[in-house]
Amino acid sequence: MKQAVLSIDGLRQAVQSLPDDALTAAREAALASIGTQGLPTVRHEDWKYTDLSSAIDISNRWLADGANTESAATPADTVKSIMASIDANWLVIANGIVDLTHFVESSGIKIERFSDSAAPLVMERPLADLNVALLRDGLRIQIHAETEKPLGVLIVDETSAAATVSQANVEIEVAAGCNAEIVEYQSSSGGGDHYGNSVVVLKIGQAANASYVRIQDRRIGHVHTGRISVTLGADSQLHMAGYDLGGGLVRNDVDIDLSEPGAAATVNGLYLAGDGQHIDNHTRVDHRVGPASSSQEYRGILNGRCRCVWNGKAIVHKGADGTDARQTNHNLLLSDKAEIDTKPQLEIYADDVKCSHGTTVGQLDEAALFYLRTRGLDRRQATQILTHAFAADLVSRTPVTATRDAITALVESRLAELITDNVS
Amino acid sequence: MLEVINLKSRVGDTEILRGLSLSVNAGEVHAIMGPNGSGKSTLAQVIAGNDDYVVTGGEVIYKGNNLLDLKPEERAREGIFLGFQYPVEIPGVNNAYLLKAAVNAKRKHQGLGEVDAFEFLKLAREKMAVLGMDPKFLNRGVNEGFSGGEKKRNEILQMAMLEPSLAILDETDSGLDIDALKAVAEGVNKLRHPDRAIVLVTHYQRMLDYVEPDFVHVLSEGKIVRSGDKTLALELEEKGYEWVREAANG
Repeated sequence: MKQAVLSIDGLRQAVQSLPDDALTAAREAALASIGTQGLPTVRHEDWKYTDLSSAIDISNRWLADGANTESAATPADTVKSIMASIDANWLVIANGIVDLTHFVESSGIKIERFSDSAAPLVMERPLADLNVALLRDGLRIQIHAETEKPLGVLIVDETSAAATVSQANVEIEVAAGCNAEIVEYQSSSGGGDHYGNSVVVLKIGQAANASYVRIQDRRIGHVHTGRISVTLGADSQLHMAGYDLGGGLVRNDVDIDLSEPGAAATVNGLYLAGDGQHIDNHTRVDHRVGPASSSQEYRGILNGRCRCVWNGKAIVHKGADGTDARQTNHNLLLSDKAEIDTKPQLEIYADDVKCSHGTTVGQLDEAALFYLRTRGLDRRQATQILTHAFAADLVSRTPVTATRDAITALVESRLAELITDNVS
Repeated sequence: MLEVINLKSRVGDTEILRGLSLSVNAGEVHAIMGPNGSGKSTLAQVIAGNDDYVVTGGEVIYKGNNLLDLKPEERAREGIFLGFQYPVEIPGVNNAYLLKAAVNAKRKHQGLGEVDAFEFLKLAREKMAVLGMDPKFLNRGVNEGFSGGEKKRNEILQMAMLEPSLAILDETDSGLDIDALKAVAEGVNKLRHPDRAIVLVTHYQRMLDYVEPDFVHVLSEGKIVRSGDKTLALELEEKGYEWVREAANG
């Protein structure tokens, strides 16, 4: 199948129609970068299994239609129910528009708009460039003291037009020695086709401790690409976990840069996929110095006609002695139409390192199923219990405690949808 | 309660049950004994509905209906309980959660409402006290990291909570020390009831010192070759299974 090509002319028009502000130069630079590089195709090794054609198609239709932003800025009901489920101090980006009305001023947090101050860096990563080129506004957040509630970043889109595209971009800096809890919540609704693209840059200061939870519960069928780039200061810690429940075509890129000694990063993830979903998690950890450690644990439950991709890369650069890098990926396939491409990848250029990886792909344990059935549970119930158990460990270990109940409920209800009577 | 008529069953290509017949009435305790490989566990698995065991002939009638038409969960809800020889470890599934789900599945089938959480815990704790089980087992993963004795006690706990009409206990006595054996036996004795039948599948006579059977059957090569009262178990203990095999062939 021929891959769609993004309309650069349409993109240029859309970029030029955005207001002239502190972001203008960055938008122009990002546009130029896309103009020369284009968007990745399946010929790129990192995009082998994930075809962006649907994202490009939605973008082209949206650009051709005038690249309008939805006028109803903040979908009140969705926002209200999400805020009720997780007790956090929420920043909202609704249909690409920053909404600070829900945020309670806090002495520990300083917020600036990109449009008022300096704009984000152009990363020379195609989707991040697309994000900056089309960015209406974004936020630079500095956390310099521990706050009572986690910081919430709610990225929510509600569409009514046939094709819409939105961008969200935040940069979060956790000051040296500071503990910070952050929740990124991705949600979308509405009947039209939608492509949401987000960029998060997280800078963790020396001896700081950042806990970061990402929840992606977009409408099944909506397209989402998201990048999180993290740099860790000396002796700092990152505890990150992502939960992918919704979306149609979903691609998450998490890049962790370990350039200072004594840093430790944990990156976990859970993905639940059913009919028509394609969820791709790519992680890349650069160990540039030692000692430092990284640990990745991803789990997936797949049922129906769907495909998931996991690619966990750890690069131990020359001289990064004392590196400890671990990665695991476990998958439960409940349907013969479900497909997983799992690939741990270690590139080691240092001598004194401890690295391990392991992946598994399996079905439910028939002996356990039979045992539960002899206790009166039907096959569907037994399957739900066993799949829930497979996911429960990652749910209970969510690094932001305030999210635990919400994630438990989301995982339970998604599994109830996924595990239908026709479970094989 | 249960009529097994000329039952034949195989696993893979191996024929294991070769025309087994057995009749169990409410209120009775039956012991099924026999050497390894005689088909004791196969009989238990076939009655519970394990489809790894293919029924090639005969009938099983339970409460007047053809049992073999029912799914394992339907059999359970109709009152059949199998105590496993090797209870399955299910990490991540809370023991209390499973117990409650099992009790509610049966209650729903009977047209009753779900059990109240408070009542459930009270009942579970009572039954655990009889079995000498620490209440903390309720909050652990099902059989996860349990010792052999703990697993068997947990089976008896499930049985006590589910109050089956027909309980089949497959080698529940194996691997138990004397204290665990006594606790399990007490749990079984407490369930003896005029409306309930219990089938003990066992290799050794030991358990029968504590749970006195009404009938003892000896299984050999997929058939019951001898039936009698509890004295048959003692005789068997003394003379060994070779004696039965010879008697069957001779």
